[in-house]
Amino acid sequence: MIGRVSAVPRRLDLVILGCTVSLALVGILFVASTTATGRLSGLATRQAIWVGIGFAGLLVAVLFDYRMLLKFSFPLYCFTLVPLVYLLFFGQRIQGVRSWIRYGGFQFQPAELTKIATALLVAYLFESEDDGRLRLSAFVKIGAIVGIPFLLVFLQPDLGLALTFLPLLAIGLFFGGLPLKGWIAIVLVVAVCAGGAWFFLKDYQKQRISTFFNPDQDVLKSGYQVRQSKIAVGSGGFSGKGFRSGTQSQLRFLPTPHTDFIFASIAEEWGFLGVILVLGLFATLVLRALTLAGVARDRGGVFLILGLAGVIFFSVTVNASMMIGLLPTTGIPLPLVSYGGTAVATTLFSIGLILGVHYRRFANA
Amino acid sequence: MLKVRENRAALNRKIEASRVIVGVVFAVLATSYWYTQIVRGDYYFTQSENNRIRSVRINAPRGYVLDRNGKILVDNEPAYTLYLYRREARNLPSSIDLASLVLKVPRDQIKARVERGLRDPEFLPITIGENLGIDEVAAIEAHAFEHPEFAITVSQRRLYTRGPAAAHVLGYLSEASLDQIKSAENGYKLGDWIGQKGIEGAYEGLLAGVNGERRVIVDSHGREMAEERRVEARPGQNLFVTLDLGLQEIAEEYFKDKVGSAVAIDPRTGEILTLVSSPAYDPNWFTRRVSAKEWGELLGDSNHPLQNRAIQNMFSPGSTFKVFLAYGALAQGLVNPEETVFCPGYATYYGRTFHCHKKGGHGVVNLRNAIKYSCDTYFYALGHKLGIDGIAKIARSFGFGSPTGVDLPYEKSGLVPSEAWAIEKRKARWYPSETISVAIGQGPVLVTPLQQVRALAGLLEDGKLPTPHLFLASQEPHSGKRLRYKSETHPGLEIDPAKLAIIKNGMWAVLNEPGGTAYGSRIPGGEGGGKTGTTQVIGKETTIRAGADRKKLQDHAWFVGFAPIENPEIVVCIFVENGGHGNLAAAPLAKLLFAKKFGRPLDMPESPRQQRASAPVAPEKPAAVPAGRIATAGAPR
Repeated sequence: MIGRVSAVPRRLDLVILGCTVSLALVGILFVASTTATGRLSGLATRQAIWVGIGFAGLLVAVLFDYRMLLKFSFPLYCFTLVPLVYLLFFGQRIQGVRSWIRYGGFQFQPAELTKIATALLVAYLFESEDDGRLRLSAFVKIGAIVGIPFLLVFLQPDLGLALTFLPLLAIGLFFGGLPLKGWIAIVLVVAVCAGGAWFFLKDYQKQRISTFFNPDQDVLKSGYQVRQSKIAVGSGGFSGKGFRSGTQSQLRFLPTPHTDFIFASIAEEWGFLGVILVLGLFATLVLRALTLAGVARDRGGVFLILGLAGVIFFSVTVNASMMIGLLPTTGIPLPLVSYGGTAVATTLFSIGLILGVHYRRFANA
Repeated sequence: MLKVRENRAALNRKIEASRVIVGVVFAVLATSYWYTQIVRGDYYFTQSENNRIRSVRINAPRGYVLDRNGKILVDNEPAYTLYLYRREARNLPSSIDLASLVLKVPRDQIKARVERGLRDPEFLPITIGENLGIDEVAAIEAHAFEHPEFAITVSQRRLYTRGPAAAHVLGYLSEASLDQIKSAENGYKLGDWIGQKGIEGAYEGLLAGVNGERRVIVDSHGREMAEERRVEARPGQNLFVTLDLGLQEIAEEYFKDKVGSAVAIDPRTGEILTLVSSPAYDPNWFTRRVSAKEWGELLGDSNHPLQNRAIQNMFSPGSTFKVFLAYGALAQGLVNPEETVFCPGYATYYGRTFHCHKKGGHGVVNLRNAIKYSCDTYFYALGHKLGIDGIAKIARSFGFGSPTGVDLPYEKSGLVPSEAWAIEKRKARWYPSETISVAIGQGPVLVTPLQQVRALAGLLEDGKLPTPHLFLASQEPHSGKRLRYKSETHPGLEIDPAKLAIIKNGMWAVLNEPGGTAYGSRIPGGEGGGKTGTTQVIGKETTIRAGADRKKLQDHAWFVGFAPIENPEIVVCIFVENGGHGNLAAAPLAKLLFAKKFGRPLDMPESPRQQRASAPVAPEKPAAVPAGRIATAGAPR
């Protein structure tokens, strides 16, 4: 089950590994830049420790046979749902959201692990579905598999984190072969539901719903955030204001410059060049993952890579769009770069899984 | 293995398709960033500069106000303001608790202030309390570690060191009104303090100085990180006013339980040595932000404490008017100073009986004694001779009916009636019988206390009416350079010294001869002269019957005076509303002022009341034969 360690370097995909290492380093650098002073100082060290833990996890994920994980994906999935249910009832609200388990000085977001387990279970589901057309039973199954954790996280309420489950559903349906009729049906259902909600809900009810999911984010405030973020990005210009010299980030006009808005800090301090560097690294990583998916040994492996890479792709796109107001602010961090121990470690672990599928692409491995 | 790959042809086509999707999405993102950073880069760069650089005003310290001897009247003191930065607040309720505890303000009030502040953008601090004491500042600072959300700034607050003393001279500060913001050149903003009334209002430009500016780099909390540029403020000029605090305090003390006003000037220059208006207010109220209730009380006070009675209250001058008419008539040659009138206690004109204030009559009086005794009968005759327009001409030549030009805002100009005035304003002919009343300073003639001192100073100073003023000198606080006021006068009547001497003698007699109407207020050494006056409260009897406040129906008391007799250095006018007779209510202050000014002892052999009882009533030089037309005019029926 565990391969020989000496063979690991030769068979690892160095493109993905290189992008990952680079992005994690950029992350540490900018967490350091944006938290150099004040209450937040010291976060860069923590982030570096989590990156270290994450790379250890990545190595374990490479060496552990993913097929084993696929086989046990259902119990794993159920196991990771338990803390989500627990949080809903007993969770402590941190910044209005019950998504953290606290133990001593240690915080952990169990939903990040649930995401990996969900990706595994989706992949396991499609391992046996091979006729190129999505059957209704599979459709219902995948809906439930993604829908349950989505709902649990949505109720925390952490809209951003919940949304990152959706690419798993989309990828399952797309690659699983949902026929055109199915897509049309989904679009119609969503449209009718949204429209119905629009017509039947009264204004104050809409207001209540939006305040329920965004308890302390009034319209004015999120408008302020986006505005400051756009100023940060735009004022960076071509080559940026220089590392640690971004006025928007350093003087804290930019909200949460070390977590959700870290990409705006990069854009401000490193300019368009920095943006191209980071987006280029992500694009390379995702495109390379697609290549690896194409040569994976089995359907389970293909879907595992597609799911995990899809989550990363989705997060990057939404996060980068948020910075310049292309999409509303939803609280999705930039994978590998934004400060956040659980997210960084689990993302590294999932990249480890991608590499692991590739590592075992030959039947005899 | 092969089988697996073949079955995956469809899957691989989709993977290829998704490569395109991924590529397009990243291209769109890169283009969007290119647009934001390269195309719109300059715009956003300006925005970020506006964010981080804030222009902070350096308030120019306001100049001090000092009396003529350098005693400080208006000072500045530090005032502390407590702010809350909401982003720093870890636990807002506990912040509110602390502020409520330290400021001793109910929790609900603090909470309301915080909630009002929550509507503002997050980076703006919320004002929790103003005018904190140093002990409150210390209490907040002691909790700085647990409560980093609190910030304290220090600013200068105006301090009127002697409270209500000279309030009407000094004026006060209040927040600039919208009109003032629009009209002023110094760039006032909402919430800025600006001088109102008094010296503060009149010399706002000198006192305020010129504000400076700091361009500072701030963080999103508005906290200063560094200073980029600094233009220092130019402090306001220190202002010396003409007041003599020693005299002012005596006058304030005298008016503590009275309503009215007193003015003393130097007749040679017009420098105002004393100016009291009572009741007064404490100008410090305004700088501590008056509550609506306090405002209501101040405005609702029937005695109108905000009014400066010395320049804004117009009353009939009563018998003090006789001095000016006497000189005017004398100068025109209308009367011979030795001509006498017989006063039986009344006179009849136009079928109406006019009473002298002395029921039994003064007997035979000449001009000098008519002043000394304030004989109404004599002046009825004089007025009858002058006619209303003759009276008006004399009154105007002493500056009545026009503002004195004092350096205080909102001065009233009084009223000198004439035939033309009656037709224009009253739409009715002037009744000749009214002239008789005006001759003894009653009726529609209206003057302010400040006009009275100017008129008397003009009479004493060769007809030159000095412009009363409070500005003595201003001083540049750094260089010490001084700017002095240049005294100015208005030409009035030309004065004949021999004729003036007769009037002065009569006024001397008022104070210093037994039987003079203010004999009780003489000072040892026999300095000074004066004239009492009484203004009747109109409609007295009817209102008494209507049950009005008896005190409000008493006559108003006047006294005008000067000292010394030769080369006078001080001219005073004292007006006590509802004070009764000028002798008892107003003249004693003149005595106190003269005594202080010339360093005379105050000890008098007898109290004024005893004095009056024992004073001989008969004129010292009775004229045997009534002569001339005046005598006939005043003859008993």
